[in-house]
Parts: sequence; C-alpha cells; structure tokens
Amino acid sequence: METREVISTGNELSAMAAVDAGCMFFGGYPLTPSSEVMHVISDLLPAVGGVSIQMEDEIAGICAVIGASMSGQRALTATSGPGISLKAENLGLAQMAEVPLVCVNVMRGGPSTGLPTRVSQGDVAQAKNPSHGDYRSITLCAGSLAECYTETVRAFNLADRFMQPVFVLLDETLGHMHGKADLPTQEAVKAGIVPRKTFDGPAEEYFPYECGPTEPATLNPMFEGYRYHFTGLHHDRKGFPTEEIETCRKLIQRLDDKVTAHVDELESFEEFMCDDAEVLIVAYGSVSLAAKEAIRHLRADGIKAGLFRPITLWPSPEAKIKEYTDKIKDVLVVELNIGQYMDEVQRASGRLDLKGLYKVNGRPISPYEIANEVKAVF
Amino acid sequence: MARTLMRFTGVGGQGVLLAGEIFAAAKIKSGGHGLKTATYTSQVRGGPTVVDITLDDNEIYYPYANDGEISFMLSVADVSFQSFKNGVQEGGIIVIEPNLVNASEEDRKKWKIIEIPIITIAKEEVGNVITQSVVALAIANKFMNAIDKKVLIDTMLSKVPAKVHDINLKAYDLGEKYAIEQGA
Repeated sequence: METREVISTGNELSAMAAVDAGCMFFGGYPLTPSSEVMHVISDLLPAVGGVSIQMEDEIAGICAVIGASMSGQRALTATSGPGISLKAENLGLAQMAEVPLVCVNVMRGGPSTGLPTRVSQGDVAQAKNPSHGDYRSITLCAGSLAECYTETVRAFNLADRFMQPVFVLLDETLGHMHGKADLPTQEAVKAGIVPRKTFDGPAEEYFPYECGPTEPATLNPMFEGYRYHFTGLHHDRKGFPTEEIETCRKLIQRLDDKVTAHVDELESFEEFMCDDAEVLIVAYGSVSLAAKEAIRHLRADGIKAGLFRPITLWPSPEAKIKEYTDKIKDVLVVELNIGQYMDEVQRASGRLDLKGLYKVNGRPISPYEIANEVKAVF
Repeated sequence: MARTLMRFTGVGGQGVLLAGEIFAAAKIKSGGHGLKTATYTSQVRGGPTVVDITLDDNEIYYPYANDGEISFMLSVADVSFQSFKNGVQEGGIIVIEPNLVNASEEDRKKWKIIEIPIITIAKEEVGNVITQSVVALAIANKFMNAIDKKVLIDTMLSKVPAKVHDINLKAYDLGEKYAIEQGA
C-alpha cells in the first residue's frame, strides 16, 4: 500500500482523517485533552466547504452533530470523558433513531473532572454503555499515531454502514504525542468511502425503519422529499411512537442484532510476537506502546512474551481472546483503569485466573513496570 | 546510534514544547525516529511542564523517557528542576537557568550541572524572550550532538514564521556559543 509520512500529533491526525473521510460538519465544545481536534478541524473544514461550530456546551455539540447527520452529511464531535457523560442522553437518542456519527474521546483521568491533562483509559466501560437501554456500542481504539488517523476513517465508514454512533478512543498520550505516522494516501481514503444507503423509490413507499432483522435503518437526508418521524420513543416503520408489543421487541432486538450478526465486519486486533509466546500481555491504546517496549526487554532476558491488542474494543474480538487465552496460561492484562477491559477478557476467555496490572494516578505505565510485573507474577 | 533521551522542563507558558517538536521532526527528516511528549498540569500558566524527547535510528514505541535513562536535561524553572531531576542518570548533564533554578551541592555531585542564563540571553542579547526555546535547542544539540546542525536549523526555520527567522538564527548562534563556553 502506498503511504505518506506525516509528522503530527494524534489529535491533529484524527481531525485530518475526518476531513479526508468526507466529514463536512464538526459540532462540539473544547475539552482537554481533546481540544486540538476541534482547533485543527476548524481550520480544515471551511476550506472544503464544511462547517465547524463551537456550540455552547457538550450537549449542544452532540445535538448539532445529530442534526447535521440527519441532513445526510458525515459529522464529528470530539471530547473527553466528562463530555461523554454530558452527551450520554443524546448518544442514546442517536442509537435509538439510528443516526450515524463519529465521536472521538481523548481519555483523561476521571470520574468527574478528574485529571484534565493526564492520561487514562477510564472511559472504556463508559464507551460500551454511555446511555441507558439496550444497544451495541461500536468502539475503536487507536494504538499508534497512524491509527489515530486510520481508525477515525474506519469509524466514519462503520457509522454509515451500521447507522449509529461510533466511538474512537484516543488517550492523552496518543492525542498529544508528536512524531511520525505513515498514513494511507488521501486518494485511497476517498476511494474507500462507502456512503450510507438511501431509498430512491416513491416517497409514499418510504419506511426508514422497515428492514431485515439484522439490518440498520435507511435514513434519507431530511428536506429532500422523503419524510419520516424522528423520536427517541419506541417507534414503528415510519418512525412514529408505538407501544405495539411485537414492534417494540423487534426494534430493540434489531438494534442489538444489527451489530452482533456482523462482528466479522468489525473485528480488528493486532498480535505482536505471539507465535512462540509463553506469556501473553493484553493491552490497548497507548499502554500497548509500553507493552511492546516491555516485550523487547523481556525477550532480551529470555522470557517469551507477546502482545494481544484489541483495536475494536466493542464488540470485543472475543473468539480471538478465547483462542489465545486457551493456548497461553500466563496472561497479564494491563490498563490505565482498574480492570475495565479485564472484565471482558475474563468473560471471553472463561478464565478467572488472569493477572492484572492497573494504574489510575494519571501517569503512564512504563515498560519496566510491565516487565517487572511479568517477572514477579509468573 | 543508541537511543538519545532528553528532557526539557519549565513552567506552562514558557514555550518549552517547541524545541521538542523540532528535535523529533529533525530526526525523522534525517531518516530516523523521533517522538516528543509533553506533560503538563491543568494550570494554564505556572504549572511544571516536562517535555521528553526520544530519538533513535530504530522504531520507538514508548514515547516517554524512563527515569534514570535520561542523559540530558534542561531546566528553566526551579519547580520543574526539583520535580524532574531524578529522571536523569548519574553523571548526566543538566543545564539550568541560574537566575531561576537552584541546584544544591548534592545535585552538583550527582550530575554535571551547567549554568547558562538562557532567559537573559533570549531577552537581552537576542531581544525576544520567546526565542529561549531556540537558545535551548542549540545548547542541547551542542552538548548531545544529536542531529546534524543544518537539518536542525532548517527544521527550526520551517516551524517559525519567516519574519522571525533572523532573530531565531541569532538565538541559535548564541545558544551554541554559550554551550561551547561551558565545555560542550
């Protein structure tokens, strides 16, 4: 694949990716450590005829993005954990009404306002269920500068494919670190854009929520002759509120099934030196960078360690997690939270004897801490 | 080349970030790998700020300097010097702004403490305090020989507006001069 070299930060790369992927609208509110996403995209969007608006708060930011998306445009918001907490209600609305959008979350310490300038992975559980009710989150997690770009691009295509919000998780380290990224060309990104489906039959035959049991809604852009009702209530095929028993059941079941029936389209992970590994480290995001460095040190000391790194965190690569944890006895899950993804690794593996290394003081986990933990517990 | 780890420290608002970006970009332009990370507090100005610069011919994964592996640190604020000095390996070089940083006798035994009045140079000799990050860049490169001088200067000039190229070149020359006077 032809690539281009860009020297930048994760936040800037994420903003660039959005524009290259056809995003024409940004609505949000600047929140450390995500603010540069908004700064950069505010420069980029007007140049391509797009719009970037700093709204009065986080809630208005997500609402503006929902509106832009309903008009048929690809739309982005970016924030950090406290912003997701505020956006939660409307993220649920977008799940229920099946409005595609991308939400970049550059994670910082929490809960509440927490540690604004410091790194964390405390929003992993939040990304799975930011709002009440049943639906399936799609959450992608960048593990390098290049992935801040490529996962943002992928998020836009998945949002339009599955007609729902897609999270891209960065963290303070990735968002602010400055270095080299080998990126796909803009032409390749543009060629890979798959626009959302539209209905082009007679307007009176348009039923946006009438679809197969594992398929998403087909929302035509508003104001172009196709009408539907928009609501967060349980709704019928035209979008009007209903309490009809089977319609309600089928709707929520479909929100779940439209994702779970197509996990093959979502699964993404990296295996690093796993072929002969006798110790498996599970890590994601910026922690995986420390893990890779730790594996270099461990292998120099004769310990065969490898890394399994989920890239799509939700839905998790559960079959692959099971495969590796069946094969390798010594497993260490390393996270900048207190085991939020450990729960998922335990569930997928069916094992309760996995070890965890966690940190929640806003500081990164160093390669030496990981290497020393491996030596101490196995 | 083995890995080079440098740390620039100051307080928020002093502009210590730029030198790190220039180092990383210059190393990448030379065909190697460079990463810069900045750690700061939620105070907009006045909180201790630390910039770690990792340069290597091979791929770098972890972007922060590990404590005890840093061979060069530069500090223009006492709070930052005291907070971050222990990351520097014994015998490593620490350049301090003597008007703002107080190194103890113990510090001077443990590390090679070099006093260069970086801010005074920028303010009075160059004529613009903002150029302190370029003075610092020149000092660091003279002590570490990390990057080819021409590549570093070209990268620096690409990151500052054209109208301030001259004063930044002057800042670079002065930084280098003071470094040589201090044994670099």
